[in-house]
Amino acid sequence: MKNKRSLFLSDENPSLRNKLKVYRAMRDLTQEQLADKIGVSRQTVIAIESDKYLPSLKLAFKIAKLFKVKIEEVFAYDQKEDENES
Amino acid sequence: MDRKEYQRLRTVVVLFVGAIVGLAVIRDSYLLATAGVLTGMVFMVLARAKAKIRADERESTIQGKAARMTYAIFAPTIALTAFFLLLPSRGGISVFSQGEWLFTEALGMIFAYLTLFLIVIYAIAYHFFNKKYGGGGDEK
Repeated sequence: MKNKRSLFLSDENPSLRNKLKVYRAMRDLTQEQLADKIGVSRQTVIAIESDKYLPSLKLAFKIAKLFKVKIEEVFAYDQKEDENES
Repeated sequence: MDRKEYQRLRTVVVLFVGAIVGLAVIRDSYLLATAGVLTGMVFMVLARAKAKIRADERESTIQGKAARMTYAIFAPTIALTAFFLLLPSRGGISVFSQGEWLFTEALGMIFAYLTLFLIVIYAIAYHFFNKKYGGGGDEK
């Protein structure tokens, strides 16, 4: 179940989606290479790509800057889904 | 040295320190136990510096959540244990106030002070981080 809420990572938020995997594939980067470039572990990249972890604003900006796009092009906030949940 | 090698090395060091401390307990030697623990600590610091282990924000988040859960479970557990250990001796049940049952009161007192210490440390840490991250200030 994709929208299942975790007991341990309660801030897991399905209303925030990202296109990190797409941008990474476009640049032909491996998860390890991307992790090195943005200064995090490969596990963090995997977690962000699978929407299991929300990056900090600083890291989100770092990712957007690396791909030379606006932050909202990589990370999208779905307000409707958020409202449906609450 | 990558992360996996570092984790393997850490397991070996933990086993080594455990064995040394176990041996120290058997031989009743404080010196051996201290030396074993200190050696392990120094070795881990050196290995960590060489491995250049990256502690990223996700790891910090997980550590924070784990620490919060540990506190939430540990504090009430030892507080309740302290309460139930102190209850018989304070409740006037004479059998618990003498002989071999006397240790329960001492153990209860240790647990009670441990609970207080834990709460005080938490409160100080909370106050410190609250100030660090801009909480508690007046609007200017």
